[in-house]
Amino acid sequence: MGSLLRKISIKYPSFAEYWRTNRRSPQNRRIFCRDAEHGDFHCANAECLSSYYSVFVARLAIMAMLAILIGLLTLLTWHFTKVYTNKSLETLAYGLRYELLQRPILRMWNIFNSTVEITTAQVKLSEFLIKKYGKPVNQAEQVELYQAMKDVTWALFASHKALKSITMNYKNGFVQAFHRDHRSNNTFYIYSDLVNYSISGSYDMNMLSAHRGWNDQSVHNNISAIWFREPLDPLTGEKTGKAMPIPPDDLINIAGISQVPDGVASWHVAVSKYSDSPLLSAALPVLDSSKQKSIVAVVGVTTALYSVGQLMKELVEFHTGHIYLTSREGWLLSTSTDTPLLMNSTTGPKLMMAADSEDVVIRSGAKLLQKSYGSDTPANHTVHIKDAKLGNQLYYIDSFILNLRRLPMVGVIIIPRKYIMGKVDRKAKKTLVILISASLSVLVTGCVFIFILTNGVSKEMKLRAELISHLDARRKAEASSNYKSQFLANMSHELRTPMAAVIGLLDILMCDDCLTNEQYSTITQIRRCSTALLRLLNNILDLSKVESGKLVLELAEFNLEQELEGLVDMFSVQCINHKVEIFLDLSDDIPKLIQGDSGRVVQIFANLISNSIKFTTSGYIVLRGWCQNPNTSRNARQSSFAQTNSISPNKTHDENFYKKDNRLILCFEVDDTGCGIDPSKWESVFESFEQADPSTTRLHGGTGLGLCIVRTLVNQMGGEIKFVNKSGPGSLMQLYLLLRAPIDGTTEHYKLNFPEHNLTVLLALGGKMGRLIMSSWLQQHGISTYEACDWNELTSILQELFQDGSYIQNLPNHSSIAEKHNTGDTRTSTFIIVIDIVLLNLSTGIWKEQISFLDRYRGRAKFAWILNHDTSSNIKKELSKKGHLLMVNRPLYKTKMIQIIESAIRDSELQTKINPLISTVVDREMHECLEMGPIQSEGKLEGNHNTSDGFEKNSSKPFLSPYAAVNNCFVELTEVHSDKNDLRRREQDQRGTSNDIQCLTSSNTRGSQTSLQGLRILLAEDTPVLQRVATIMLEKLGAEVVAVGDGLQVVNALHFVPKPDKYQEDSPQADENPGSQTEESCFSTYDLILMDCQMPKMDGYEATKAIRRSEIGTTWHIPIVALTAHAMSSDEAKCLEVGMDAYLTKPIDRKLMVSTILSLTRRTTI
Amino acid sequence: MAAVIQLQRQLLDYTTSLYNEAYLDGQFTQLQQLQDESNPDFVVEVVSLFFEDSQRLLDDLTATLNQQVVDFKRVDAHVHQLKGSSSSIGAQRVQRACIVFRNYCEQQNTEGCLKCLQQVKNEYYLVKNKLETLFKLEQQLVAAGGSIPMQ
Repeated sequence: MGSLLRKISIKYPSFAEYWRTNRRSPQNRRIFCRDAEHGDFHCANAECLSSYYSVFVARLAIMAMLAILIGLLTLLTWHFTKVYTNKSLETLAYGLRYELLQRPILRMWNIFNSTVEITTAQVKLSEFLIKKYGKPVNQAEQVELYQAMKDVTWALFASHKALKSITMNYKNGFVQAFHRDHRSNNTFYIYSDLVNYSISGSYDMNMLSAHRGWNDQSVHNNISAIWFREPLDPLTGEKTGKAMPIPPDDLINIAGISQVPDGVASWHVAVSKYSDSPLLSAALPVLDSSKQKSIVAVVGVTTALYSVGQLMKELVEFHTGHIYLTSREGWLLSTSTDTPLLMNSTTGPKLMMAADSEDVVIRSGAKLLQKSYGSDTPANHTVHIKDAKLGNQLYYIDSFILNLRRLPMVGVIIIPRKYIMGKVDRKAKKTLVILISASLSVLVTGCVFIFILTNGVSKEMKLRAELISHLDARRKAEASSNYKSQFLANMSHELRTPMAAVIGLLDILMCDDCLTNEQYSTITQIRRCSTALLRLLNNILDLSKVESGKLVLELAEFNLEQELEGLVDMFSVQCINHKVEIFLDLSDDIPKLIQGDSGRVVQIFANLISNSIKFTTSGYIVLRGWCQNPNTSRNARQSSFAQTNSISPNKTHDENFYKKDNRLILCFEVDDTGCGIDPSKWESVFESFEQADPSTTRLHGGTGLGLCIVRTLVNQMGGEIKFVNKSGPGSLMQLYLLLRAPIDGTTEHYKLNFPEHNLTVLLALGGKMGRLIMSSWLQQHGISTYEACDWNELTSILQELFQDGSYIQNLPNHSSIAEKHNTGDTRTSTFIIVIDIVLLNLSTGIWKEQISFLDRYRGRAKFAWILNHDTSSNIKKELSKKGHLLMVNRPLYKTKMIQIIESAIRDSELQTKINPLISTVVDREMHECLEMGPIQSEGKLEGNHNTSDGFEKNSSKPFLSPYAAVNNCFVELTEVHSDKNDLRRREQDQRGTSNDIQCLTSSNTRGSQTSLQGLRILLAEDTPVLQRVATIMLEKLGAEVVAVGDGLQVVNALHFVPKPDKYQEDSPQADENPGSQTEESCFSTYDLILMDCQMPKMDGYEATKAIRRSEIGTTWHIPIVALTAHAMSSDEAKCLEVGMDAYLTKPIDRKLMVSTILSLTRRTTI
Repeated sequence: MAAVIQLQRQLLDYTTSLYNEAYLDGQFTQLQQLQDESNPDFVVEVVSLFFEDSQRLLDDLTATLNQQVVDFKRVDAHVHQLKGSSSSIGAQRVQRACIVFRNYCEQQNTEGCLKCLQQVKNEYYLVKNKLETLFKLEQQLVAAGGSIPMQ
């Protein structure tokens, strides 16, 4: 089969080529795929198309293969079946033919034999008779001899029915013959007239030889001789009729002396006039018994070959075909047909050649034989011709030779092929047809199957091509997204630098004293816009950072509550314009300190709240928060808000995990009364650049980035954010964050023990929501509350509580109102009235009267005022004039309330226990602190610092209150606060307002040109240009700068400060504290290090690490500020990781640098 | 006096053109602001520092890049320095060229680096010429007895 295939492939080189290419093509494709990973895919389509074609070709090729295979199989089957059948049949047929021919030949042989026997017998008898009678001397004796001869001859003739005739020809010319006519069934005796013959014939040899010609002539041509024919009874031999004279040779051939010239027997085929078949005649001489052995008579016997023909006919009748015998020369002796064997000619009947036979088949067969073998027949004369075409039919022709002496004969048998092979041929044809049809059907089904199968393959190929193109598309998309991130990362620096420049220049401009008010306000506006733009840029950068996975959350402790309060404070300023109130409602179970990325947490809420503000025109915004620590059950109050739809992480499952890892789940809700969001958009608003309603961009502005950032941040903190259904107007957003509690486990919540102070609070607040929140919180802590929503209600409650004058007298000994509520302990009861400034009628002058009305209750209750940010200063003055010193800015939240209560308690305690004078002093100072708002802060910076310091001293020391930190939230908004950790610059950037103020103040500071006065700064920078610029910049600000070129020098400068020579070389001012040579003092020689990150010899990171290492074990921590040209947060993270305190980007922004340096140095100096 | 005024205008125009054509940016302005009585030649000083430094760096870069095996780390460090110093004096076109240069550096693309080096050199010489012209103008102005106008 293999060789067959090879043959085919040689035969069809193109096909083989196809085959090979097809087999190679998948490999090619695979290689192509691999290449395609790197290269371009432009030729993918072409490849797809070509693969399509190759599938087509492969399909065709397989079909052709199948066709060839099946065809060959069919042919082979047919061939083998046919050939073997034919061969065996042919052998059989050959035997049959041989047998058939053998039988007539045998018959012929028999005839010959019998003829010869009779002849011999006749001769022997004749010899005997002639000897017996001796030499006849007279006629009588002669007649007697002839009579005896006649009797003997008759006996022989009668005994052999097949004999045609027996003749005796005597030397003297006398002829005796018996003749049998088979057709008429007559038997005749023929004799010549005895008269004409002399008795004394010369019997000597000489005479014989001399007269031979004569004798012969006498037999045949002796006209004078008269022959008589005597009919005889065939059985008895009796004479039945009269002898009739007949001409000699008329009837029979008389064998003469000429036929036996040499005295031996001879035979030949003869014809007779009266017989239609050739005759076999044998002749034998009768010899004289004397010594001369002369011939005395010749005996001739003729036999008709009729019986042979008869036999042939029988045979042929049974089988079909033709048989004939010829002499060697070709004379026809006998045939199986009835056609005449003799041909009439002028000289009488003559033997005919087989080629002249009247039978068409025999004639043409003979002709064919003659033609193919010509005269020179094969030696043995055996010929087999297969498939000879005679006429319209095919025949088998076989000839055999019968080699008789003197009469060799040839037998030919012609059998039609149909007779032997007819059925086989028909069967073969049928088989062929069946085979062909079967193979055709197999081929068709095979092709169909191939089509179906390869169809699947081609489909797969198509799919694969599609997959490749999809992969390509995906790769492209990924690449483009990568490009985007890269672009953004590259742009971050480029974008921020000009923005920083713009803002910085604006700051410079604002410091200018010669600006008109209009110019100033315009510049302020520009600055605000720039800040907004910067914020937007930061947003986009945040997003790209998150997307590129570069956002790293830091893990630091921070005070969540404080951060959120700061946030709410900040936004409350914005809310005033919108007539929206903002509330913070944090549950007490939130730990004070939390580990996490405070900047990001604040960013989340800043985004959410600003979003809410944007879409809320009236009403309120509430930020609720509670802790969902698995081991502390949730507060009942909060759960009532959020039970229906709260996001609850898989609590039971993760319980152990959270416990072990100190993790907290903090849940928050941002609830507003804005326009709300359609539930169908709840998911899509978290996509970037997506807004619930595209038209809002026109109305509210914004890019739709906020929520996207929020969600990514929340997700990064392991939380989740979603909108939930809200019954009222507006939207309610829930989120939870996974944050860590501090590792040391100081998560104890401060326990308030207000109940022992026996407090009563009257909340006279305009906003209903705030009032509700506050009162419920107070009640939770065991403080009884009253609520009033407007002035009238307030007065009525007041009047109800302090009904009459009698109560006034009671007041110093503590009120009856306390008795009302706290039956047991009346001693420490305190009444606090929290009044919203909006309750006063400020539009007219009535408010003054209202204040004086309240004045009546001053002694009995503590007043705390909630001010608006824009509350005019004369109202404040008026209030403080009246002695209402406890003023806080809106909004009111837990810490502020605690502060109010604290101060009230303290106040009352001081009043009762200590000298009232002192108390007023404390009060005054404290009040001043409390009433501080961002608006008043301008121009009072120094004072502010003092007061805040003073406040801290005065308030925190005597009470050691856990709320000392609360101060921050008051002061934070007003200045660059020393306690504020300025690492969170970015966070402050986002607090637009606070930043504004901060920059204002810092530029104020800068106005004096000496904001860094007295600071010693070590500058490490390798680029001389930068080094020079930074040095001048810092010196201009009043700082003393020592510049070094690499990190190694930094480390050395710090370590070898004690060595005066080197030290002086670097900075002449170093003598300032020459005395202190201790380890600590050597660090203290510099207040700060500005460190470039990339420097030769030792880079900034290494240097910082070295410095921090050397600080281990000391109490010192020298602030190190990184200077880097990279602006990615990963760099920042790296900087902070190695121990740097802050991070500045090049080119140096002066403002930022100053504030950073100040914040860091202040911390260490204070 | 007229000559002084003309010189002043010329200087102003020239400076403005430098800004407009983005040879310089705000950082240069800041430098100028830092210059006062205590540091009368501050700008010139810094800029000549920049020239010296840059020339050194450029020479170094040329040498490094022409080596058989290019030490890209070194090239990158140099370019980074050049970028830092150029941004500090406000030669922003040099700075930009440096940024492109660094990208090629990261890809370790020698050809691109060489091309960029040429670019950086071009920009550097351009800005050098411009600044020198600027200083010359200023000197002329000072010599004529005028004061240098501030932006």
